[in-house]
Amino acid sequence: MTHQAHTYHIVDPSPWPLTGAIAALMMTSGLAMWFHMNRMMLLNLGLFLMLLTAIQWWRDIVRESTYQGHHTPLVQKGMRYGMILFIISEVFFFIGFFWAFYHSSLAPTPELGAQWPPYGITPLNPFEIPLLNTAVLLASGVTVTWSHHAIMEGKRMEATQALSITISLGLYFTLLQMFEYYEAPFTIADSTYGSTFFVATGFHGLHVLIGTTFLTICLLRQMNYHFTTSHHFGFEAAAWYWHFVDVVWLFLYLSIYWWGS
Amino acid sequence: MYYKFSGFTQRLVGAGASSAYTPQGFKPAVPMESPALIFGTPTKLASDSSSTVEYMGKNKVPELQKLFQKPDGVPVHLKRGVPDKLLYRTTMALTIGGTIYCLIALYMAAHPKRQK
Repeated sequence: MTHQAHTYHIVDPSPWPLTGAIAALMMTSGLAMWFHMNRMMLLNLGLFLMLLTAIQWWRDIVRESTYQGHHTPLVQKGMRYGMILFIISEVFFFIGFFWAFYHSSLAPTPELGAQWPPYGITPLNPFEIPLLNTAVLLASGVTVTWSHHAIMEGKRMEATQALSITISLGLYFTLLQMFEYYEAPFTIADSTYGSTFFVATGFHGLHVLIGTTFLTICLLRQMNYHFTTSHHFGFEAAAWYWHFVDVVWLFLYLSIYWWGS
Repeated sequence: MYYKFSGFTQRLVGAGASSAYTPQGFKPAVPMESPALIFGTPTKLASDSSSTVEYMGKNKVPELQKLFQKPDGVPVHLKRGVPDKLLYRTTMALTIGGTIYCLIALYMAAHPKRQK
């Protein structure tokens, strides 16, 4: 390799944008095949190809940063901006669902019995599992910060333990939400209450699962000595994402579980 | 007025005397200076840093850094050899096969059987 006289990262040619695009084509065509001909083969192949693409693409990014040293402070700055913009886009994604919720609940239509919660809906008690879930997520926000400070001070054992606790709390939240969904006395088909409730909390749950996966990758990288005291942006991005998921839950709890009941 | 180098903005920014000058022996919680710039290869290996207590397995990063920084012109997705090649070929085969399958499926969807 020739000597590089700048701090930018010129990437190697990569097959993953192509395989990812074909995976997206297979998934959309696969959905059409499933809906019209009841065949799931193409959809499943598309999902599998997307999974292979995601794993290998992110594996390569870890190689480029930890093993090849391409993530200079300047490159990291670009990643910071990218992650910030991504989280802002996610904020607006959730604003859409909150908009739908307040649109339906602030002026309930005659079809709903002109009241919120709508006539015939028994909402969940916000002071039972939802309050526990709030405590669980807030606690996980504390442990992820603890882990970050441990990484910055080079305390490997402590960082690993704190991160493990964060992931456990994330899994506990998911488990509690599963019970709550199972026990819920209304369904997604029960008026705008059911649809706004399950779409908003369901997408939040999906984001918790994604965040838990992100943190688990960070735990594996931490155990494999990938993070240094001054360079661990993968962890920081995961922590930002986790805090975002935490804040969305607080709004869901206040709006849908507490005020909405 | 004191200045320090900001790792975030990549510029000199105003700072208090204490943060501009960190006395020897006191470790700042957040590093004041950004890490040294890395220019391509060869780069400083993590093994040069002080030894740490090892638990839960050996630190394999230095040897992997040597492997992945070998100047052999192989792109990063194939740099580890046979396992990489196998995974890449499986993915590529699925991509080509999937494209053909998609075309067939979309053709079939465009020509539904007439219902009598």
